[in-house]
Amino acid sequence: MNSIVIIFLIFLAGAVLTYIGQRLSNILGSSLFLLTIFAATAQFYLRVNTGDIFSFSLNGLEMEWGITPISWLFSLIVLGLGSMAAVYSISAMKAKERLGYFYFNFIMGIFSMMGILLSRDLVSFFIFWEIMTWSSYMIVIYEGRSVQKVGIKYFLFSAIGAYAMLMAIVIIYSQVHSVLIEDLVYSFSSFTLAYKIWLPILLLTGFGVKAGMMPLHVWAPGAYSHSPMAYSSLFSGALSKMGVYGMVLVFSMLITQIPEHLLIREVIAWLGALTAAIGTLWAIAQDDAKKLLAYSSVAQLGYIITGVAVGTELAMLAAIFLAVLHALFKGTLFMVVGAIEKQTGTTNLTEVTGLIRKMPWTFIAALMSIIALAGIPPLGGFVGKWMLYEALIASDHYILVVLIFFASTAGFLYCYKFLFGFFLGQEEKEWAHVKEAPATMVVPMLIFSVLLFVLGTFPGLLLKPIDIGMQELGYAASEGHYWTMSVLFNEYGNAIMLQPILYAIIAIFLFFLVFLTAKAFKGTRYVSTKDISSSGEVPGEFENLSFKENFFQPFLRAVEPVMKRQIDWYYTLVGNGMEALFNFVRRVYTGNGQTYAIYAIVFLVILLLLKSNLFG
Amino acid sequence: MVGSPVLFVAIPLLTAFLIPLFAYIWKELVRIIPGIVILYLLVLSVSLYGQVLREGTIVEQIAGWAPPWGINLVFSPFTGLLSTLMLFMAFIIWMYSYRFKNIDFEPSKKYFILLLMLVTGSIGIVLTGDIFNQFVFIEIMSISGYGLTAFYVGRDSAEASFKYLIMGSISSMFLLLAIILIYSQLGTLNMADIASKAHLMKPEFKILALIFFILGLGIEAEIFPLNGWAPDVYSQAPGPIGAAFSGIVVKAGIYALIRVIYTLFDVEGSLQFLVIIGMITLIIAEMAAIRQDKIKRMLAYSSIGQMGLVLVAFGIGTHEGVFAALFLMVSHALIKPLLFLSGSYLVFNSTEKSIKELNGLGKFMPLTSFLFALGAIAIVGLPPLSGFWAKWSVLTAAANSGMLLVIGLVLAISIVEIVYYFRVVNRIYFFKKEESVVPKIPTINAKFAMVILAVIIVAIGFYPDLITSYLHEASETLLDKGNYIQNILSVAQQVTQ
Repeated sequence: MNSIVIIFLIFLAGAVLTYIGQRLSNILGSSLFLLTIFAATAQFYLRVNTGDIFSFSLNGLEMEWGITPISWLFSLIVLGLGSMAAVYSISAMKAKERLGYFYFNFIMGIFSMMGILLSRDLVSFFIFWEIMTWSSYMIVIYEGRSVQKVGIKYFLFSAIGAYAMLMAIVIIYSQVHSVLIEDLVYSFSSFTLAYKIWLPILLLTGFGVKAGMMPLHVWAPGAYSHSPMAYSSLFSGALSKMGVYGMVLVFSMLITQIPEHLLIREVIAWLGALTAAIGTLWAIAQDDAKKLLAYSSVAQLGYIITGVAVGTELAMLAAIFLAVLHALFKGTLFMVVGAIEKQTGTTNLTEVTGLIRKMPWTFIAALMSIIALAGIPPLGGFVGKWMLYEALIASDHYILVVLIFFASTAGFLYCYKFLFGFFLGQEEKEWAHVKEAPATMVVPMLIFSVLLFVLGTFPGLLLKPIDIGMQELGYAASEGHYWTMSVLFNEYGNAIMLQPILYAIIAIFLFFLVFLTAKAFKGTRYVSTKDISSSGEVPGEFENLSFKENFFQPFLRAVEPVMKRQIDWYYTLVGNGMEALFNFVRRVYTGNGQTYAIYAIVFLVILLLLKSNLFG
Repeated sequence: MVGSPVLFVAIPLLTAFLIPLFAYIWKELVRIIPGIVILYLLVLSVSLYGQVLREGTIVEQIAGWAPPWGINLVFSPFTGLLSTLMLFMAFIIWMYSYRFKNIDFEPSKKYFILLLMLVTGSIGIVLTGDIFNQFVFIEIMSISGYGLTAFYVGRDSAEASFKYLIMGSISSMFLLLAIILIYSQLGTLNMADIASKAHLMKPEFKILALIFFILGLGIEAEIFPLNGWAPDVYSQAPGPIGAAFSGIVVKAGIYALIRVIYTLFDVEGSLQFLVIIGMITLIIAEMAAIRQDKIKRMLAYSSIGQMGLVLVAFGIGTHEGVFAALFLMVSHALIKPLLFLSGSYLVFNSTEKSIKELNGLGKFMPLTSFLFALGAIAIVGLPPLSGFWAKWSVLTAAANSGMLLVIGLVLAISIVEIVYYFRVVNRIYFFKKEESVVPKIPTINAKFAMVILAVIIVAIGFYPDLITSYLHEASETLLDKGNYIQNILSVAQQVTQ
């Protein structure tokens, strides 16, 4: 049997067995859950080669599953993050209800994402896309009644996106008489101009919803922050990347074939940059860590979308690089929040403080990913962002650079807020009992932290596969290897040689720090954070010294005009208008027999009057 | 030959009248006999259908009178498909109704008699080749429909039944007018004969007759604005009867309308008219559905909307369009009854039947809730269930005919559909149960009936090729009008020679 089919069967059978197993016992359910995901991952990396193809025909449509270098690359995100999040969720979801339901949808989520990546025709792409939507929807509404609005909003926007996509697919099918992606790419140049414009727009609407592009992002903050954190890391890290994957395909295969002056690239790039800027501002304003990360995800995906949309070799390279990194650091950060929520019971940044000594490993993971997120060297985020700036400048998008740079700099504020809020600041008695999260939760986070570090130092490890993937997408290797084309690498060689020097300095510094600490160890006196006196006053036990409340008030006041109305507000307006319209229409059915009889007569009269117009 | 198409009409009618007699022998027979009869007819229909696919259309003359003078029954790949589908649904509904609620001996006698008549009428409409005969079957179907609507004694159901009666009589009046018009012009009632002579009719008369047909049959096919009766009837009739209406009766109405438009007359613009009126029906019904607070009314509006979509697909007029319409009909005939059947157990003990009372039933009635959710997912056209392929066929057919506006509107309205179905599913699974609601576990036969439907929906969803070849054959038959006329009238020639 074909190796791709086997993967899908493992997922499907695993999902059902896990569900049944969970009914029988907790341990059986969890172990089947892990077994499924790891078996599928192993099967994928050991047995499936690029070039494996499975063709079949369904309902008269020729369909094909297969793997390309670019989908292999994205599968790293899905399976890597998926398996780590699975390990994490065993402890994170302990003692929760309806675990079978959670595991089932978790597996279905990974299954559908792999399906999307392995589809080489539009119909199975769409089918997997929809499975992804409903399986994630099921997890968004896992918490029950309180999140029903969030769930409906998520599903509504997903449906709008999916149906835009379906419309495009249907039109493509009527034009090409095949649903294979390669046939579409091959014959796209012969489409009329109207189709050439509208088809990419419809497809991008579909992908834009999942990638959280403005103004289609309104579902994202709610959905990311209300799912269980074990899933949110996958949701924001991998699921949204499916939108990016779709965009990469559209921009590299279709939009290259339409005239440049149509500005689709520019519009999407601008939307991406605006998403980044506004998402960042909203993230700064949040006091809840989940919300903060959710908005931050929206913002980060904005960078990626801009990169994909600009679409020069370097920009695409940077965008895909950032996509993988975002999966790593945002996945970790959601796991961190999940760990803190599990240990303290809240995720409010103004409540929890001073966890650095209680949860040191979690702190390290959070620190690493925050550094990566903020784009500070030597972690991977720096490389990605640098390449993005460079690509934007090289392609003359100066205003975009300013916007992205603004978003990135303002991003420091929420990064700091996150780190300071949870881990630093004074220690409160309330959190004295908090302990480090279980090992199965900490280890996945640390693995990702190490990966972030490795990718920051040796970005070539990831850039090489991206390069191969891009060649497959039609970026000819005209100037040798793209992954060395950035200024960053040309100057210092394939790996960033500056960094070992930096590390050496840091190491010496650390050594001295340890040395001095050890030397002064005997004279150390432990003090609590309240053991201070300021201006002669000694603070009381419950006095709040932290400045976390209204953290960035001056800044937020300055940007207030931009944030006056959420886009939500406009959608609500439209929604209310629709409801009123529906209510009006409903009144057509009066429930009165006489009225219906009159309708029949009126209908007859209208038909008789219009008969010469209607019937030839 | 395995059996004759006449049996489809004769046996259930005869049984219906004999049921009171059986009741004297053993009271349980009242319940058992209809099932046996329907099952026998289903087997017969399937085997005849197989024969028809191999050897071509069967034309049965009643009492040896050859067409165009006598009445004839036509069992073609198209009508055979529909009659098989209807009998299958009838069997499912019988299985479900067996010991449904407090249908005791006396009411259950009426119930099964009327159900059999309803099925007879519907199948008669599909099989007959004579318009006056069709009119008679429509009357049989409607009258048993009135009776079944008012089955529960009460003010609301009587009112609903009365509304249906008013609309039904308007329908029969105009049908009769149309038939008279045709007879006065052509002197024949045989459909094939009319079709072959239609060009002899004066155009004004032809269009007038068409309009009368549209009005008369439009009431049965639930097109806007003639469908006001439907939500009341669907919601007041017993649950399985709602399923029968959406799975059998409407399909017969649609069939009759399509027969008139496709075969009887060839009036230019009538297909376009179908698209327009179907679209209006779809949009208005879905908009009304989102504002309902009673579950069955919501399902009824949704059913009306789907029928609008079927008409749109028929209106496209190409082979693909007809194929899509049939696919949608089959798919809807499976899904909507599933929703009605599971839904009526969900609100079994409530008097209000409002959506609120479904809150949190997912924990108490896991199977029924799951089946309802499955139906909801299928009907909005989410893959991988049968509804998706039906919608896909409609959309591709529209795209191939260049009707981009239709695609856009259908998809936009599907979003409305998603919203109201998911609201209900969310309530079932994620809300807290109302204190006053007493859950009712379905009987084993009802469970079985629903599970069969669900399995078929999933099977078609994963592998649509199970039914597509039959649907292609059927749409081929409907579009090949010349063949239809020749099939029937050649029988006449053989007899006269």
